[in-house]
Amino acid sequence: MTADHGESPATAAGTGTADLTLDAKVAEADLPPQLVAQSLGEYMRASWLRIRGGNSGVLPVILAIVIVAVVFEIITPEHAYLRPSNLVYIFGLSTVYMILAIAETIVLLLAEVDLSVGAVALIGGAIAFKLVQQPGPNWPWWAAILAALAICGAFGALQGALVALLRIPSFVVTLGGFLLFSGILIIILGGADSTVSLNTDDPNQNFIYDMVQGLISPLFGWIILAVVVGVAGTSQWFRAAARRRRGLVTPPVGVTVIRIALVTIVGAAVVLVCSVNRGTTLKHVTGVPWVIPIVLVVLAAWTITLQRTRFGRYMYAIGGNPESARRAGVSLPKIRIWGFALCSATAALGGILLGSFFYGQYSTNTADPGQLVLYTVAASVIGGVSLFGGRGKAIHGVLGGLLIGGIAYGVSLLSLGSLSTPLTYILPGGVLLIAVLIDVQSRRGAGA
Amino acid sequence: MTADPGQTPVGTGVGTADLTLDAAAVTADVPAELFAQSLGQYFRASWQRVRGGNAGVLPVLLALVVVAIGFQIANSKFLGAQNLVNLFEQSTIYMLLAIAEIFALLLGEIDLSVGLVMGLSSVVVAELVQPTGANWPWWAAIIAALLASTAFGAIQGTLVSRLKMPSFIVTLGGLLILEGVAIIVLGGSLVGIGNGGFTNEVYLYNIFWGTFSPVVGWILLVVLVGAAGGGLWLQDARKRRRGLETAPRSLVAMKILLIAVAGIAVVAICNVNRAHAGTIEGVPFIIAIVLVVLLASTALLQRTRFGRYVYAIGGNPEAARRAGVRLPVIRTWCFALAGLISGIAGVLFASWQVSLTTNIIKASNSYVLLAVAAAVIGGTSLFGGRGKTIHGVLGGLVIGGIYNGLYLLGVSSQWIDVAVAAVLIAAAVIDVLSRRGAPGKA
Repeated sequence: MTADHGESPATAAGTGTADLTLDAKVAEADLPPQLVAQSLGEYMRASWLRIRGGNSGVLPVILAIVIVAVVFEIITPEHAYLRPSNLVYIFGLSTVYMILAIAETIVLLLAEVDLSVGAVALIGGAIAFKLVQQPGPNWPWWAAILAALAICGAFGALQGALVALLRIPSFVVTLGGFLLFSGILIIILGGADSTVSLNTDDPNQNFIYDMVQGLISPLFGWIILAVVVGVAGTSQWFRAAARRRRGLVTPPVGVTVIRIALVTIVGAAVVLVCSVNRGTTLKHVTGVPWVIPIVLVVLAAWTITLQRTRFGRYMYAIGGNPESARRAGVSLPKIRIWGFALCSATAALGGILLGSFFYGQYSTNTADPGQLVLYTVAASVIGGVSLFGGRGKAIHGVLGGLLIGGIAYGVSLLSLGSLSTPLTYILPGGVLLIAVLIDVQSRRGAGA
Repeated sequence: MTADPGQTPVGTGVGTADLTLDAAAVTADVPAELFAQSLGQYFRASWQRVRGGNAGVLPVLLALVVVAIGFQIANSKFLGAQNLVNLFEQSTIYMLLAIAEIFALLLGEIDLSVGLVMGLSSVVVAELVQPTGANWPWWAAIIAALLASTAFGAIQGTLVSRLKMPSFIVTLGGLLILEGVAIIVLGGSLVGIGNGGFTNEVYLYNIFWGTFSPVVGWILLVVLVGAAGGGLWLQDARKRRRGLETAPRSLVAMKILLIAVAGIAVVAICNVNRAHAGTIEGVPFIIAIVLVVLLASTALLQRTRFGRYVYAIGGNPEAARRAGVRLPVIRTWCFALAGLISGIAGVLFASWQVSLTTNIIKASNSYVLLAVAAAVIGGTSLFGGRGKTIHGVLGGLVIGGIYNGLYLLGVSSQWIDVAVAAVLIAAAVIDVLSRRGAPGKA
């Protein structure tokens, strides 16, 4: 294998063979369909072949979300599951899992695992909430959030160093980290029964409260949607045009158009659902929660980092084959430590959102860090991230998180009595096992 | 590599019958008793092995001494008879779960569900003897709990070995499912076995809290030391007769003496009256239970073909497979055994807690970390192929000592968690570094 510092070794093999004919064997061999397809029809056929070859991307998780939505709509009392108020609530509940699953995805891409994300996230939230207290440190909200991200990032770097430099298995390091940080969390909160809450009368504290609870008025929501679709659409369009001009392989024009149309439809649906009054006739509650743009920003940031930067390419390279990445000149310890640090920093943001979701209250009972981790790993793997490294995207974490949140809320809607508590354990456990089973089988199918 | 199904592939060192004492051979994993001719040579050889990164139980014994001296200085009650028995009672669960965990660790796998297998087993046993419910005899309830635990372990083992799923994920998902199942079995919010009016509940209660009377304790000790000493001596004599390499005679005598001294110390301490008022004395049943589990698992791992296969798989699965070892069978059995031993721990847990609640079931999960920590602190490698069940017992004692000592000092539980986490990570670091120090191992 030749060492090419600028290129990612994981993708180099596929890109090198510029075979433009559509042929089933090539399509199965991990080639993105836009590289081989000349027209929309060919593109669709190529995509189908990839799915049959065990490379289905986000399709299974989207299917699962649809199935979960339909099933719960049918079996919940009064068919309440898909009411706008519930949909918005599900999204709020899922954001924590989404952000944590994006964080976990970063580490999973390296073929490692981080079992401490739950505890680290809760520490991040507790730190941010503590720092804006008045009387108390009374830091501005942005400084408090940055401090939380930085401290948790440092925790992650510490664990990453143990994994990367000493090569201690990551699940052991982070299992110890989980216990350690769960203890530190209680110490930060100031004892087992203490609560930190935000005072919504203080605009500084209210900002953090609003991160999940705050709403953007419907009109404003439409404007933001228009801007997002406009920017995303034109950038897609121009990128395709630029590639075409330079004579590079590009997806057919039809695909670009369909993509932009899909983003518009999904965005419009979200804003529309959020614009319905979900309060009472006396007290109207409408609007898009702030957290939706927040999740979108995190998703966009991580998608760009993973897909468009050298750092991202190195992550996939290490996850795919650490030895060949090393021989290609990638510094494994550096990338691994950064991966763990960024995972923990992202998780800290999830923890802050978690506190905001629980109406600005933080206590040791807010969430069980152990259960949070399990939901998180399940969300990433269900979303389509491989446990074995090198396969997955940030969007998988978001979709997996939505699925887990949707299941968790749906179960709570069913009045199951004494069964509802056990089911909150059994369902994610079962879903995790099934997701991993699919992951293992699809890798076998792909011949890896 | 030649395939010889009858022999264990890891024992390549035994083939070179080099009887001279030489440092290179010593560091290469050869047990010291194979070439030492006298007691002095034996000690020198052992010291070389320790320096070569093959320290065995020495570090954990050192840790035990440090823990004992440190806490004794901080609080003079620590080494009192009452606290020592207390400490052992607290450590029992760690010891048994660590032994269970070692069956997974030896394969190079991990079982994160041992804590909740224990939880499920404890709920099953407690529910089945309820006079208002199933009202089974106590022994039938125990058998049912152990069967359920073993079956769950076997299912997890099957997923790991046949479907090639990573063990930490299978057991992570498994523990979630178990948590739910245990809460369902628990039904209400509480189940207790502390009602003295029902024979079955009394039997269960006494498993953990019962003691041998002082005289029976001494008699059992004499029998035990006699059997162990006779066994060791006869084994040595038989080896000598057949012309095999044996450890020096004085070493065998010393081993027997050590066992006797340790045994007398334990029985003497336990026979002190440790009650504030009235009399509580005698060796607790649980010491005998831990000994039985330890001896049985040691015999299984050190003296049977199954045990050799376990070490072979942990050392190099591919080599073991080519030598004709059926990996899925051995792996599944190991997870089943881990389930069984966790189930035994569960019976003790139910007896120890007396009444079980949803919160206690949820808390049983946290024991998994302590079990892994105990095994690794004891000297079992996380990477498979290296470790013995005695490591679990000694490591469990260290963890129990740290918990007990910090608790005596009035340290709050979150700081104790922090301390144990630090110990786990330190043990893992030592494991990794000692593997690096040992030649020929990655």
